[in-house]
Amino acid sequence: MSTPASPRLDVATPERVSLSLPVAGIGYRCLAYLADLLLLFFFWVVAYFLFTLLVSDVLGFFQELSGLARTLLVVGVFATQWVYWTACEVLMEGQTPGKRLVGIRVVRVDGSPVGVLECAVRNLVRLVDALPFFYAVGCLSVLLTRQHRRLGDFLAGTLLVREERIDLDKYAATAATPAAPLPLPASAQRLASRDVELVLSFLARAPWLEPAARTRLGARLVERYGGLDEADRAALLASPGRVEAFLRTCVQAER
Amino acid sequence: MAASLPAFVGRRRPDWDALKGLLARQRAGTLRLEELRTLDVLYRRAAADLAHAQTFHAGTDVHRFLNQLCAQAYAAIYQPPRERWAATLAFFRHELPRTLRANGAFVATSAGLFFLGILLGAAVVLLEPRGAELLVPRNLREYVARGEMWTDGILSVAPPNAVASAIATNNLTVTIVTFASGLLLGLGTVFVMINNGVHLGSVAALCAREGMGPKLLDFIAAHGPVELSIIVIAGGAGLMVGQSLIDPGELPRSQALVLRGREAVKLVLGCAPFLALIAGVEGFVSPGDFFPTWVKALLGLALGVLFWGYLLGAGHPTPTPTPTSGTGNLPHVDPL
Repeated sequence: MSTPASPRLDVATPERVSLSLPVAGIGYRCLAYLADLLLLFFFWVVAYFLFTLLVSDVLGFFQELSGLARTLLVVGVFATQWVYWTACEVLMEGQTPGKRLVGIRVVRVDGSPVGVLECAVRNLVRLVDALPFFYAVGCLSVLLTRQHRRLGDFLAGTLLVREERIDLDKYAATAATPAAPLPLPASAQRLASRDVELVLSFLARAPWLEPAARTRLGARLVERYGGLDEADRAALLASPGRVEAFLRTCVQAER
Repeated sequence: MAASLPAFVGRRRPDWDALKGLLARQRAGTLRLEELRTLDVLYRRAAADLAHAQTFHAGTDVHRFLNQLCAQAYAAIYQPPRERWAATLAFFRHELPRTLRANGAFVATSAGLFFLGILLGAAVVLLEPRGAELLVPRNLREYVARGEMWTDGILSVAPPNAVASAIATNNLTVTIVTFASGLLLGLGTVFVMINNGVHLGSVAALCAREGMGPKLLDFIAAHGPVELSIIVIAGGAGLMVGQSLIDPGELPRSQALVLRGREAVKLVLGCAPFLALIAGVEGFVSPGDFFPTWVKALLGLALGVLFWGYLLGAGHPTPTPTPTSGTGNLPHVDPL
């Protein structure tokens, strides 16, 4: 069993299987934060223009409203500090727009969704994590802890997991088979699932590879898993299209 | 017998896609009862597939995919119960006062630190006239030297509702910082409480020395009792957090923190509405001389007595256990 590169959240479900979810590290967190920051920045640009309109009061029409505008300004500052994050996480099931964009989600340490209390707490503690500047405390905490949690996450008992976009089509995809008959793969050896995964990931990436690398990698895979004699292999390696078609039949052989 | 990877995916994939579709509809809130049963069945099958993938296809994309799919279904099926108005009401009727009384020692300690700060600040300014230069901010000193209150100007530059909301957010920030800095092993809270005390004590002493004591009292009387109480309570909550870090008892530190932190947070969040209320008083009643001093003092006293009467008196005699919100993890599907 290969060791996972990133830390994972292990959850034992009542169905007696263990879920294992990838934890989001500091890169994902920063990216999501920047996206949210951008959104809030645009909000403030709009608010600023509205506000100057109200205060400069070209038409003399808003004089009555300027008290209200000031109230809104003060409330707005507070809202962007705290309400935005908390409300988003409560309403969007642990995500803010930035987190959704990056594909990360807040969950409790047992993998269940967060409630109002957790969201409120982890965002209250944002103030401490932002000490003394640029989220220094939070970043240190994220870097140094095993599951990349900041102080707010510790107090609320939450962490961030990553959502990968996985395409299952690569297992089913059948390329148009070339007209020339392919040599049959030696069916004596069954491919282990790890090898299948390797071949499939090569096939999925092949169209975007440099031609030289494409041929070289294809040839090595044929040598490793093909089990063909010299003549067949030489014929096969003549064209990259046939190499990949052959590899595909290898992988799909046992359906 | 393990099937090959593509065969496994090809055979089981329709179920997974169906489960994915149901989960999307569950999120959108358009799930019917019979579909809910299907969701449950499909989740169990996916869990079995995950176990299979774990054993025979570990580390592949299928394994990762099933992990994610099961996690989503798990999250949908084992949801925490939604907090509703009844739960909020019960929180303010029973839980908040009870939590406060159960942790009275922390609040008392926090109050002690605050008074220590006040005494220190006042003593320094009263005993050593030049101490004020050290402790009181420059602009405040200038106001006091001119014999006017710095709060008098507030209403002439901004309307009272703007003042009230500014005060509300400022107080909220102070409260949050007081509480949250408890995460720095409690030292942050200790510092904030003493610091606030020193600030208040030194300003009060300076005003008293310059003959402005009545004016300061006039400003503080209406909102002071409740506002300072809330800061003290937030300090108590911060100390609870700090204590769980220094002395977690039997539990690992992180778990002790979550457990005690939950209690502490209840105190802080419970105080928020009162903070907003008192900011209204501070913005509308306290500044200026629209109300005579005795009215302000009476109001402040009444509010303080009401606040503490509520905290110490409410939620006492009911023997029925109140359901704790959000901690239970019972199977609970909410199709809405």
